[in-house]
Amino acid sequence: MSMEELFEPMKEPMIMGAAVSIVVGAITIVAGLTYFKKWGYFYKNWLTTVDHKKIGVMYIIVALVMLFRGGIDALLMRAQTAVPENNLLNAQHYNEIFTTHGLVMILFMAMPFIIGLMNVVVPLQIGARDVAFPRLNALSFWLFAAGAGLLNVSFIIGGSPDAGWTAYFPLAGIEFSPNVGNNYYAWALQLSGLGTLMTGINFITTIMKMRAPGLKLMKMPMFTWSALITNVIITFAFPVLTVALALMTLDRQFGTKFFAMSDGGMDMLWANLFWVWGHPEVYIVILPAFGIFSEVISTFSRKNLFGYKSMVMSMIVISLLSFMVWAHHFYTMGHGVMVNSIFSVSTMLIAVPTGVKIFNWLLTMRHGKIQFTTPMLYALAFIPIFTIGGVTGVMLAMASADYQYHNTMFLVAHFHYVLIPGTVFGVLAGYHFWWPKIFGFRLNEKLGKAAFWCIAIGFNVAFFPLFILGLDGYARRMFTYSASTGYGTLNMISFLGALGMAVGFALICYNIYYSFRHSPRDENGDPWDARSLEWATHSPVPEYNFAVVPEVNQLDEYWYAKKEGRDITAGEYERIHMPNNSGAPMWMAGVLFLFSFFFVFSVWTAVIVFGIATLGFMAFRSFEKDHGHYIEVAEIEATERQLRGDK
Amino acid sequence: MSKENTSLPLEYRTEENRLKVFGFWIFLGAEIMLFATLFTVYFVLTDRTGSGPAGIDIFEMPPVLLETFLLLTSSFLIGLGVHAMRIGRVKAMIVFYILTLLLGAGFLAVEIMEFVTYVNEGATITTSAFLSSLMTLLGTHGAHVTFGLLWGIAIIVQVVKRGLNAQTANKAFIFSLYWHFLDVVWIFIFSFVYLKGVLG
Amino acid sequence: MMKELFPKEHVVGFVGSLILTLAALSVITFDMSKGIAMTILSVTALAQAVVQLVLFMHIGETEDKKTLYTSVIYAVVVGLVTVFGSLLTMIWGY
Repeated sequence: MSMEELFEPMKEPMIMGAAVSIVVGAITIVAGLTYFKKWGYFYKNWLTTVDHKKIGVMYIIVALVMLFRGGIDALLMRAQTAVPENNLLNAQHYNEIFTTHGLVMILFMAMPFIIGLMNVVVPLQIGARDVAFPRLNALSFWLFAAGAGLLNVSFIIGGSPDAGWTAYFPLAGIEFSPNVGNNYYAWALQLSGLGTLMTGINFITTIMKMRAPGLKLMKMPMFTWSALITNVIITFAFPVLTVALALMTLDRQFGTKFFAMSDGGMDMLWANLFWVWGHPEVYIVILPAFGIFSEVISTFSRKNLFGYKSMVMSMIVISLLSFMVWAHHFYTMGHGVMVNSIFSVSTMLIAVPTGVKIFNWLLTMRHGKIQFTTPMLYALAFIPIFTIGGVTGVMLAMASADYQYHNTMFLVAHFHYVLIPGTVFGVLAGYHFWWPKIFGFRLNEKLGKAAFWCIAIGFNVAFFPLFILGLDGYARRMFTYSASTGYGTLNMISFLGALGMAVGFALICYNIYYSFRHSPRDENGDPWDARSLEWATHSPVPEYNFAVVPEVNQLDEYWYAKKEGRDITAGEYERIHMPNNSGAPMWMAGVLFLFSFFFVFSVWTAVIVFGIATLGFMAFRSFEKDHGHYIEVAEIEATERQLRGDK
Repeated sequence: MSKENTSLPLEYRTEENRLKVFGFWIFLGAEIMLFATLFTVYFVLTDRTGSGPAGIDIFEMPPVLLETFLLLTSSFLIGLGVHAMRIGRVKAMIVFYILTLLLGAGFLAVEIMEFVTYVNEGATITTSAFLSSLMTLLGTHGAHVTFGLLWGIAIIVQVVKRGLNAQTANKAFIFSLYWHFLDVVWIFIFSFVYLKGVLG
Repeated sequence: MMKELFPKEHVVGFVGSLILTLAALSVITFDMSKGIAMTILSVTALAQAVVQLVLFMHIGETEDKKTLYTSVIYAVVVGLVTVFGSLLTMIWGY
């Protein structure tokens, strides 16, 4: 590949502009760090950290950046289709944008946002000092960051993937997509997927083995329960993606015949494997949001969660069913009536446990003293909007009817009606709810609510018209349409809705700046008068989380302790063992980034060099003696005094 | 992490030890799913031979039986290694671990010869979907064994240099779990790739 | 001294796994229907896996045994759903 071909995408003015802004942004950050002499601080306290709270914050920062990348993709798509026969984007650019929009939003926005919140909150909710494997946790983050980096490099060097986020064969095969875009797809997802798999193992171990004394499984906060179930799904679903992506790489770069059109290959097998992973993935991004809503609704209704046991049971049932419905994503591929019927029934079954949860939330609010805070607004808006998404999902679940809806905008409207109120509202509720725990002050409520209304109204204006367009036969992924179809008006309305959402997200950003400047600092670490253990420690949380690990005897122990005037964090200090920071995870992920980058372009010498370097990192880790360090009692006392604000 | 519990075997002594063993079991669960996916691909594509040979045309049982015997025995030996470790017989443990790795290397040598034979018969990974799936399944298992050899050497070196303590014992035990697991996977390959393939 | 290095559990497990291998081999040495052959293979393979898990890997030796069994069984169930579900979707029911 010549240099000119390599930088072919840069000829597009819009991509050129984006590339320039990335370079300018990077230079600003580097120059800023150098000017303020913050490199040492930055490296020692953030890049090499193994602290679950800081890793969580880094996940969320990357997720927010990716939210803007994916959001700009979305705005461009809506702008392009706002009027018939528009020429803002050409067909190729449009293909790239809907592909990366899907990839970025699911894998590099929703996933890290959720994993970031789990990182921050779960160890605190169970009274642990850190996760089970802090080093591995850092590696998870850096692998995810490397994957995100690789995907974003693709649109500058070599070309973006352009075969849809599902990358169906044969279109994604080497024959029809000869450029490197789909090689990038395989490696960007592979790297971040490995990171996610490690997160899954790490959090299962943490939740199963590191709970505070007395904290039985059935006394855990609902968010921790949802995190446990989610990580179980991650651990057993992500290996499928690992294999599918490896086979894609083999087919595209080594000429194997898995998904080929000749020599016995079977292109449909890709769709099958993709959705064996892909459907559980949907629940991976939605269950933690259910957990967040449970916490938020219970806290702001001033009541304990209704139907705790049925909440847990329904999540366990969902986790198993999520592995049994994948074929409903391709009813129209041509398999027989029996197959479609089986998957149709199993799909509709999932509506049952989900419905149970909806009623539990409603009954939690019944007779409650509801406080309309920003997180609560997201939770309240979630219930009706998500129900529309769920009901249209049951419509799509009917295989025979699906022949009519398949690949129309009706489907697009459906899954946005599920994922935006479910996942996006969920993580935004969690973000506003737990922000004071991380930073020690609340985000401004007025701005938060203004942003909420922009997003909630904008969302419905943007996506409801798509149901109608879909039923009128407007197919998804079309880069333009003729005026005679009459699709113009509804598309324009949808574009205006998208602009409304953009305003909402801009307000969320402004709110960070505004609240840093003007919000009053929290005094007691519990600004919402909330229920679970994370609120029992200070805000911001000290490195060791709890000076004395609290004992837990019931659900919402902290809430009842407050009512009864007990202090569950009182006790004798003992020295605390903590893990050491390490730069190895970041450097190893950097090496794997280069390994993957050169793999994309089949530069084998470099691949071998960086492959051996990766093994070197593993050997280093095996032989390394790392026993962590202790925080002595005197230091704990000093920290606690300072955080309590004693003079 | 300093909580010592001396009633347990050395490899479970510290909190960190117990977390690592537990986490590794969860990882093995993920590995089960990884191989299940590879088996899925193999079963779906097994009759899709294109213009290439089918399993019944290329499978030869004698080398496969040898591979099976080598791996079964090595799995037995590493079990004895862990037992020796638990009764404090460090030298015996090291001998058992070295024998395990030697048999593993023997397995790998036979498998490589098997692959060479296939290629010489014109059955390569790009010939047909069936062969792609066969060689990817076998290759993934073989890569695990290869990685196991490197890992095992690192463990033996550490036990020799540092002696048995909570850390080295823990590593040696976790490695043994990995090795037994590879044996289980091979049993499934032996049964559902080779024997089923020869049945036609 | 040598005897304590060869605990009964492990020797029995090893002999058992050799016998199971021979039993599996019977499907190609004797003439039988494919259904019977596959049944024999499934039973012997599963038994081999149990030998390794229980006798060699000591899955049940810690307080976590319930969780570990659950995890392995979950993986096996989901794995089987994937294998047979895919065969159903891609071949049998196509």
